[in-house]
Amino acid sequence: MKKQGETTRKYGRHIVQYPMEYSLCAGCTACEIMCALTHDGVVSPSYNRIFVERGTSSMVHTILACQHCVDHPCYDACPLKEKAMCLDENGIVYINEDYCIGCKKCIKACVFDPPRINYVWSKDKTKRKAKKCDLCRTRPEGPACIEYCQVRCIGLSDNQIPANKQLGFQAKEGGRQHG
Amino acid sequence: MDKLYGYVGKIARINLTDSTVSIIPTSNYVPKYIGGRSVCHKIFWDEVGPEVKAFDPENKLIFMTGPTTATGIPTGGRTVFTGISPNSYPEQYSWSGIGGWFGAELKFAGYDGFILEGKAPEPTYILIEDSEIKFLSAKNLWGKLVHDTQHKLEELHGKKVKSIVIGPAGENLIRNASITTSNDNVAAKSGFGAVFGSKNLKAIAVRGTGVVIPADIQKVMELRMKMGYPYMRPNPVVKENTIGMMGNEIPVEGGWLRGQVACSHGCNQHCNTMMIGMKSAFKDEKVNHVEKCVSIFAFGFKEDCPWTPVEVFGTEKNHSLACKMFSKEPLPPDPSDPYFEELYNTQKGDIVNFWKPDFDKGSIINDLCNEYGIDKWDVIVWLLPWLSMGKKEGVFDDIDFGMEIDVESEEFIRYLFDIIVYRKTYYGNLLAEGMARAIRALGKEKFGDTIYKGRYSQKIPGLRLDIPISLEAAWGHSVHWQGRGFEATINKPGWVCHNLLQMLSTRDAMTAAHHHDTYENYLKMKDDPCHSPLTVQGVIFDENRSELKDSVTTCEWQSPNVFWTEMEAQLFEAATGIEMTEEELDKVAVRSRLLFRAILIRNYGRDRDLEVNAIFPIMTYPDPNNETVSWEEWNDLTDMYYEARGWDKETGWPTRETYEKYDLKEVADELESLGKLPPSKK
Repeated sequence: MKKQGETTRKYGRHIVQYPMEYSLCAGCTACEIMCALTHDGVVSPSYNRIFVERGTSSMVHTILACQHCVDHPCYDACPLKEKAMCLDENGIVYINEDYCIGCKKCIKACVFDPPRINYVWSKDKTKRKAKKCDLCRTRPEGPACIEYCQVRCIGLSDNQIPANKQLGFQAKEGGRQHG
Repeated sequence: MDKLYGYVGKIARINLTDSTVSIIPTSNYVPKYIGGRSVCHKIFWDEVGPEVKAFDPENKLIFMTGPTTATGIPTGGRTVFTGISPNSYPEQYSWSGIGGWFGAELKFAGYDGFILEGKAPEPTYILIEDSEIKFLSAKNLWGKLVHDTQHKLEELHGKKVKSIVIGPAGENLIRNASITTSNDNVAAKSGFGAVFGSKNLKAIAVRGTGVVIPADIQKVMELRMKMGYPYMRPNPVVKENTIGMMGNEIPVEGGWLRGQVACSHGCNQHCNTMMIGMKSAFKDEKVNHVEKCVSIFAFGFKEDCPWTPVEVFGTEKNHSLACKMFSKEPLPPDPSDPYFEELYNTQKGDIVNFWKPDFDKGSIINDLCNEYGIDKWDVIVWLLPWLSMGKKEGVFDDIDFGMEIDVESEEFIRYLFDIIVYRKTYYGNLLAEGMARAIRALGKEKFGDTIYKGRYSQKIPGLRLDIPISLEAAWGHSVHWQGRGFEATINKPGWVCHNLLQMLSTRDAMTAAHHHDTYENYLKMKDDPCHSPLTVQGVIFDENRSELKDSVTTCEWQSPNVFWTEMEAQLFEAATGIEMTEEELDKVAVRSRLLFRAILIRNYGRDRDLEVNAIFPIMTYPDPNNETVSWEEWNDLTDMYYEARGWDKETGWPTRETYEKYDLKEVADELESLGKLPPSKK
């Protein structure tokens, strides 16, 4: 079993889930949906690069995302590195799917359990592809999962913004209920 | 079409008797019937005749997603079941909506829906893994509570599996048993959990890896922002120091933690309340519940729910979708509105004194319903108030329940659930048949119609309002926003609409059709709602939008928006790429509604006499303003409604012209052959 959150490992900027005292994940899966939609134009549990692990009874959900390990074992494991798995000028490891052969070596090398790299399986071997978080590196608005999270429960690791500075934050109004 | 947008193209016919599966192309039904409830109606019309009863293997339980499900379009995660409802009195065709993540996963597996038919020879569950559908033994699941069943399925098939399950209530054919999916989402009102039980079906688990493709991704993204605006902001868990709706509040020692959560895949709201660290009915450790509106009354029911007119009637300046109220984030009121004072004139509910607030006992009631898989409405609005009122009026004096009736006692509540869910004792077995049947078996005159003398108006202080001890409205369902009993505080123009909605349905229609209208219209119809065409116009709008909500799909708490009426058409078009104006979509809704009507006429003898007599009695009891409707008023309103719909006033049957206008000639032909078509006026 791989160990999660090894203390000696260093990570780059990555998606983090805020504590529920700041914002509780509503469990909507908008992060997964928007990830797959913006990257691939589909909605599918095989295409998202961020994962909502649902708490069945607790109903408290955990967001799992690539931690962007500085030593990038996934990149090192790629037999076609610099073509299929690339490293950009900001240290972000991303996949160029034109060259990805779907060998799964990056997934096996991921130090997290479950691995933070998704996989599209197809009968057609040429269509088997790995899907990994690239922090929406070419998207001017930044990561789509963060932009479309309805409760702002996720953000970037080294840029946590205090609650009262968040976009759209207002003091809560008293509410009514009906059914 | 080269690429299929919105839909995934297949409906699975699952036969439990012989463990076979066949595939029906979704294109057999769409786009004439756009998905969800409308496709279910068509399948049921084609396949289930009048001779079939709810627990017969021939009853078909039809599950459908909508074209927006799993596309990322907000609230598209809602899905629907239809079939013959055992909870309906008498048994008839009905529907039940459910949220969760199961419907989306089913589409990822490649199915838009499924038809469950037959009866498995032994306890069974179904496992769907992409295109493969397996029938597996449920021997080790049978008897388990809801959450334990969900856990076991994850243990067996992996954490990513999504399930719908029943608890012991469904297994034992309790007529108001629910089907439960994640986050305590249920399809409860029609008692379809008992239909699962009658088919020896414990659960369906699904895991899909495929794709769903929306036609217009840019539009999906716009809708996510527009429908979420301006509340895309943090959602902290907060400590609440009291529990209970207005009039029922009590302090909670040490407080309790509240979080808001979404109910379904891709929802952009968080209407449902998660109660963290609550007392469990089954375990020593604390548990979390996800609860909706009616649950709050489990904690205390001394006063009925208050009502604020803006919840129903709105202006451009002041209208807030219900989901914002649930998540306690309504738009700030705009006092520049000339109707501001009237819109926010909150009116207190009646004093009913059903039971005093009790934090732990309320938690136990909700947990028992969640874990046994039983409809909370029947328990909280009907069974427990009936026991409370009946005891005070002495109607149970000669009855030995096996324990003294005391709705204030946690011990009695546990005992009551136990005898009902496991059908122990004569009375447990009787109540397992549902309130409508139990009360008739006991004798309705005494056990249903005895007047409770403890209801007092807070609108006319000191005025006692007669109410029967059984809060039955029609079709085996309890009152809901109908002017008496539960959520009675809405004024006459509002409750007239809700009673008309229920008359025309087969169940409590309001969970998918809370009345919404403009305040302008309200001012024009309020003085004589039974003679205003605006009442009929409003109810037809509610009904059509209700069909669309369960067909497109979207949810009750964002739709309809009377100031953005083309919303549903935009959702449909973004998902499917099929051009659809609001008018065209309304035509689809009317077609769906007509088919529902045709099913009731052909299979269950629905006509004017039957439905008017079913709903009228409850309206003879006073509302909080001491108002009722007369027989003449109600029949005048019914005339107006039938006429506006193109139905015959004498029978309540749609005319051939009406069916044909909505491309249902074959339906008219069949009904004519059965003598169930009114004479043509051509």
